[in-house]
Amino acid sequence: MDQAAFVITQNLRKTFVMGRTRVHALAGVDVTILEKSFTVIMGPSGSGKSTLLYLLGGLDRPTSGTIIVNGQDLNTLDENALAVYRRNTVGFVFQQFNLVSSMTALENVAFPLRFGGVAAGLRSKRAKELLEQVGLAKHMRHRPVEMSGGQQQRVAIARALVNNPALILADEPTGNLDTVTGYSIMQQLAELHAGGRTVVVVTHDPRMLRFATNTMYLLDGQCVSREEYEASSRVPEAG
Amino acid sequence: MRFFDLLSLIFYNLGRRKGRVALTAVGVVIGTASVVLLVALASGLQRNATRQFAGIGDLTIINVFPKFEAGPVMEASVNGKIVGGSGQPSTNKILNNQAIEEISALEGVAQVIPRDSLHYPGRLKVGKLENYAYVFAVAVPDTSILGYELAAGSSKLERGTAIIGEAAARNWNDPNWRPGQPQPEAPDILNKQVRFILTRWTQDGTTVEKSVSLRIVGLFKERRGETDYAMVVNMDDLTQWNEWGDGKRINRNKTGYEQLMVKAADTRNVTTLADTITNLGYQASTLQEYVEGINNLYTIIQIVFGGIGAISLLVAAIGIANTMTMAILERTREIGLMKAIGATNRNVMSIFLGEAAGIGLIGGMGGVALAWGLAQVVNVLAAGYLATQAAQMGADSAGQATYIAPWLPVFALVFSTVVGLLSGLYPALRAATMIPVLALKYE
Ligand SMILES: Nc1ncnc2c1ncn2[C@@H]1O[C@H](COP(=O)(O)OP(=O)(O)O)[C@@H](O)[C@H]1O
Ligand SMILES: [Mg+2]
Repeated sequence: MDQAAFVITQNLRKTFVMGRTRVHALAGVDVTILEKSFTVIMGPSGSGKSTLLYLLGGLDRPTSGTIIVNGQDLNTLDENALAVYRRNTVGFVFQQFNLVSSMTALENVAFPLRFGGVAAGLRSKRAKELLEQVGLAKHMRHRPVEMSGGQQQRVAIARALVNNPALILADEPTGNLDTVTGYSIMQQLAELHAGGRTVVVVTHDPRMLRFATNTMYLLDGQCVSREEYEASSRVPEAG
Repeated sequence: MRFFDLLSLIFYNLGRRKGRVALTAVGVVIGTASVVLLVALASGLQRNATRQFAGIGDLTIINVFPKFEAGPVMEASVNGKIVGGSGQPSTNKILNNQAIEEISALEGVAQVIPRDSLHYPGRLKVGKLENYAYVFAVAVPDTSILGYELAAGSSKLERGTAIIGEAAARNWNDPNWRPGQPQPEAPDILNKQVRFILTRWTQDGTTVEKSVSLRIVGLFKERRGETDYAMVVNMDDLTQWNEWGDGKRINRNKTGYEQLMVKAADTRNVTTLADTITNLGYQASTLQEYVEGINNLYTIIQIVFGGIGAISLLVAAIGIANTMTMAILERTREIGLMKAIGATNRNVMSIFLGEAAGIGLIGGMGGVALAWGLAQVVNVLAAGYLATQAAQMGADSAGQATYIAPWLPVFALVFSTVVGLLSGLYPALRAATMIPVLALKYE
């Protein structure tokens, strides 16, 4: 493949200090994520998947190591530049959707554009387009409580796309959804990948692998091969 | 982020939590209302005090007297002898033509009007009734320049005419009156020719009287001032009567006048002009000095009252800080989200500061409205008392108990907004510096 690397991490570490205990959420992670790939990150609970995703998205800073996204070292960015990076380069999709409960679907999708200084008319025009794209043309005026989990997650996906980011990061996007709805969300993400974006998804659902171009396995804060990962998941059963 | 978008988001956020915003704003409403109302009360007091003073006389008049330092000097002055050379500023200068010229030459002096009083008893006589008004003369053809308002008639003083104060014109007595008899009724003397009787005593103690005829051309309006019980006559007439009493001619260059009334061209430089005249070796006093003293006193009262009100605003500030701290705890996930979708620290800071300032502004508006309403109530309640007071003092109309100066609501709004802003500073700073991932995970 002649795809360029879009995300590179080198010896990435993140240590949480809680009183006397130190939790090494990431213990030296080296990954390369290719441009326009669909990467699925798998791993047991507590293995550091979310931590890795948040670091890639600039929502937190690593304890050590480097993250280079699209040729830019995130460590060199100040708070302001990091906010601009999050706004323009990254689109987040969370397990809990994280919609503002008092805002309609349309307002939620348009929300990020306020911080980008986009005019009000343009904001709702763009938000409408995206809600149509995720199949929610009829629910624009609905508030989160008036929508199903699947619909809320579609609103969240539309919101992630509103600034037209190159990188989509999704942390267990189907975790709160039933199997059928979860699958439709996977298809939605696959569409984004087909549309030329780099997509990174953390999931426990093996059906996601169907859409993946790359798969990464995390175990105790480290990247491991598929064989090691499968061996580890068999151990408790053997014991 | 555009400024208008920031504002609309702030209003949107305040609107989401109407109940709490309203409750927090109530504190600011009370604080602002007490500041505004107390300052308005102090201003009202001040205006009433200055109004009363303004009623007494003309604020542009400076009363100049010879400087009396000690008894002997006074005697010397009265006898027309000048103690010491005229070149020395420490000596007492008399109010002669030279003094008039000197003062007239000062910058800002519009006119210098000599004034003198009758040195011998004089009484008006109409039928059996007598009137002992205090008689003085001003050397000016038209008394209106002195700020003496008229109730009726003319302000012009020619020889053989007089203008009398309203109170004096009511005050007649009958020398034969016995207790139990009805009080004599005051005769109508306006535009009438009346007899004026002067009295002096000879060396051997015999009484000599002189009767002149005076036409009462005007009536001074009553205003708690010196003209109330006075009769003002032409200076030439007065000089002639005093000469008759003295039995010799008066040399004004040696004795001078009793008083000079100096009219300033402008109210603003009255006090400095008075100081200049004092420095020339005269004694000068102005009504304005009193008014300024009163103004200074009431400015202090305003500051003290405003400060007392500001204490309740301080309590309200703690309320705002508390509400904003609660808000950032409740909205921690939302703050995390805003950061995840590209809000800068400054954006978050502005939003929360704006909300705190907004609560201050809303409370301030409520406070100004409340204070205005209460001020009207106070005015109505105090109207009766003030009207009685005004009537006693002879003012044409009663003042208001409170006065809200135009700057006061503006100041109150700015102040309450700033208080809100300051209270929100710490909570907003905390919100702005949250680490996005921690905020997002907050339960
Ligand atoms: N803010 C935090 N403070 C302390 N420990 C944390 C924090 N975030 C994550 N961890 C710990 O780091 C490890 C990895 O967490 P996470 O990345 O959320 O795992 P995953 O998403 O794979 O379930 C866990 O042991 C978790 O308890
Ligand atoms: Mg996780």
